[in-house]
Amino acid sequence: MDIVVCIKWVPNTTTVNIDQKTGTLIRSGVPSVINPHDMHALEMALALRDKFGGSVTAITMAPPSARLGLEHAVGMGCDKAVLVTDMAYAGADTLATSYTLAKAISRLKFDLILVGQETVDSSTAHIGAQLASWLHIPYLYYVVDAKYLGDGKMWVKRMLEDAYEEYELALPALLAAAMHLTKPRRVKLSHKMRCKEEGVIEVWNNKTLGLEVNCVGLKGSPTIVKKTSFVAEVPRKKIVCQPRDIDQAAEWLISRLVEDGFLKI
Amino acid sequence: MSICSEWDRINPEEYVGVWAYLEVEDGSLSEAGLQMLGVARLLASQKDTYVGAVLIGRGVSSLAREAIYYGADRVYVADDERFEKYYPTLYGEALAYLAKEYKPEALLVAGTMRGREFTPYVANILKTGITADCTSFEVDSAAKDILGVRPTFGAYLIAHIRTLNRRPAIFTARPNVFPTPQKDLAREGEIIPTNPKVVDAVGVKLLGRSRFGRGAAPIEKAKILVSGGKGLGGKEGFTILEEFAKVIGGEVSGSRKAVDAGWITHDRQVGQTGKAVRADLYFAVGISGAVQHLFGIREVRCVVAINKDPDAPIFDNCDYGLVGDYTEIVPALIKAVKKIKASPQLITNFVNLNINVVNLIKGN
Repeated sequence: MDIVVCIKWVPNTTTVNIDQKTGTLIRSGVPSVINPHDMHALEMALALRDKFGGSVTAITMAPPSARLGLEHAVGMGCDKAVLVTDMAYAGADTLATSYTLAKAISRLKFDLILVGQETVDSSTAHIGAQLASWLHIPYLYYVVDAKYLGDGKMWVKRMLEDAYEEYELALPALLAAAMHLTKPRRVKLSHKMRCKEEGVIEVWNNKTLGLEVNCVGLKGSPTIVKKTSFVAEVPRKKIVCQPRDIDQAAEWLISRLVEDGFLKI
Repeated sequence: MSICSEWDRINPEEYVGVWAYLEVEDGSLSEAGLQMLGVARLLASQKDTYVGAVLIGRGVSSLAREAIYYGADRVYVADDERFEKYYPTLYGEALAYLAKEYKPEALLVAGTMRGREFTPYVANILKTGITADCTSFEVDSAAKDILGVRPTFGAYLIAHIRTLNRRPAIFTARPNVFPTPQKDLAREGEIIPTNPKVVDAVGVKLLGRSRFGRGAAPIEKAKILVSGGKGLGGKEGFTILEEFAKVIGGEVSGSRKAVDAGWITHDRQVGQTGKAVRADLYFAVGISGAVQHLFGIREVRCVVAINKDPDAPIFDNCDYGLVGDYTEIVPALIKAVKKIKASPQLITNFVNLNINVVNLIKGN
C-alpha cells in the first residue's frame, strides 16, 4: 500500500509569547515543528506500511525552510518526501493550498492519503476534505484505527462526539488521523542519513507542476484576511488571593459564589 | 477579475439570503445547528434578507416546522432514503447542490465533528471561501458582504476574513460559541421540498456504529464545570475533582494537557481544540491558562482559578483565584459547601473577604 502523508511545518504556537509592554506577538525565535496533529498521521502511515508493506511519502507545500520538517519525517522512516515550493503559491487559502497539493499528489502513486486532524496554527481542518474533493476520492476524519483488508479495501474505525463508527473504504481514499491517537516514533539517525541521498527529498516548483497562476496562491484564494487584531480580553473580576487559613478562605469563596448566584446549594 | 479556469463563473449579485444547515441528531434538531440559525437571523436582519434553513436526511420533513419556530423563513428539505446514512461526500454534494440551485449569499454550518468534516467539501465543490471557527461576524455595509471573524495563530490573533466574489460565503462556528435562539411558536415560514442530484456515496460504507454511553452529561450542557489540568500531576487528581463536582452539582472537564496525558477523555476537553463551554461557573484547577484554553471559556460567566503558581496566566483571566495546593484547597471547598448546606445563614458571616484569612494578591 502506497501512502502519502501531508504535513505542515508550523510555528510552535505553544511557545509564542505576547510582549506585555507593546501588546504585540513575539514571533521571532519561535521554533517551527511538524504540526503535532500530523505526527499522528505519520505514525499511522508508517505503522500501516510496516504491517502491510508499500511505501510512505511525506509531502508539504511551504517555503524552502520546511525541508527541515521533511528531514524529520524521513528520519521517522518515511521512504520519500516532496517539498512543493514556489513564490506563486504564497498567500494561498485552504482552497488554493488543497488545489496545489492535489495536483502534486496526482503525480505520485498512492492508495491512501493521510492528514492530521487539523493544524495548531490555523486549525481549520479544511485540507483533508478539500483534497478528497479535488481528487474525487472517499474520505473520513477522526480515524483511530485502520487495517488493510486486501483487494483494495480498508477497514476504518473513527470516533465522533458520542460514538465509534466502523467503515469499509475502497482505495484510493483519504483519512484524517484523530488527535491524541498514538505515540509517534522518534527519529532514527540511520533513517535521517538518507536525506542526503539523491531523490529522497524532491523539490517541486511551479515549473514542475505547471499550474495556472490564477488557480494558486493568493490569486487562487477566494478568501483574504482583511485585517488581524488581538483577542479581546474577557472582563473578569480578578480577585486573587493566597489563603492564610485555607478552610476560611474556602468558606469565603463558596459563600461569594452563592451570593453572586453562580452556585446553588 | 481573472479567475481559475477550473471554476464556474458566478454573479455574486444573484446570491441573497443567509442560510443555516441544521444537523439532525437522534431525530431532533441539534442545538449547535439552532445556534447557527440564531446567527443567520441576526445577519439576515442586518442585511434585510431572509433566513434559510437546510435539512438533509431521511424522515427529516417533520422537523421543518420546528426550524421555522427557531427563526427560519424558508426551510429547504431534502428528505430522501438516499440520505438515511450520513457520508461526508454525500451530504457535501447535497448541500452544494442546494446552494447552487437557490443561491444564498452566506451559509453557516455548526462546527460539530461532522460539520467540520463535510463543510470544506461543500466549499470545494462550489469553489468558494470557507472560514472556520468564527467567533463573530461583521456586515460590511459598503461592500455589502459578511466577514467571518476567527481566532488564528493558535488563538493568539483574530483574523477578519472576507470572501471575494464567490458565493455563498461559507462559515463554521464551534458549538456553544453562540447562544441557542428562543423558540417562537407564532413564527411562520415556507417549507420547500427539494430533490438534490447527487452521486451516491462511492467507495465508503458504514458497517456499524456504537455509542459510548457517556457516564456523565456532556460538558457543553453543564452549568458548573470543575476542570483539571497538568497541575493535577496525575490521573488520580481527578478523583477529588469528581467528588467536588458531585457536591456542587457540576461535571468534570479538562485541559488539552490533561487529555494528552490520558487523564480524561477528549470529549471532555475544554479549549480551542476541544469544546467551548457556556457554564455559569468554571473551576480551573491546575490549569495554567494558555490562550487556547481561555478561548474555550470566554462565555463562562464566572471563572475560579486554583493554582500553585501565582504567575500563571489564568489568574489574569479569572474572577476569583486561590493560590495554593489544590489537594488542600479542593477538600476545603468540599467541606465549606457541606458546612454552608447545613447552615445557610453562615453565608452572611463568610461572604466578606477577611484580610486576616487571605493575602490579597490582586483585585479588591
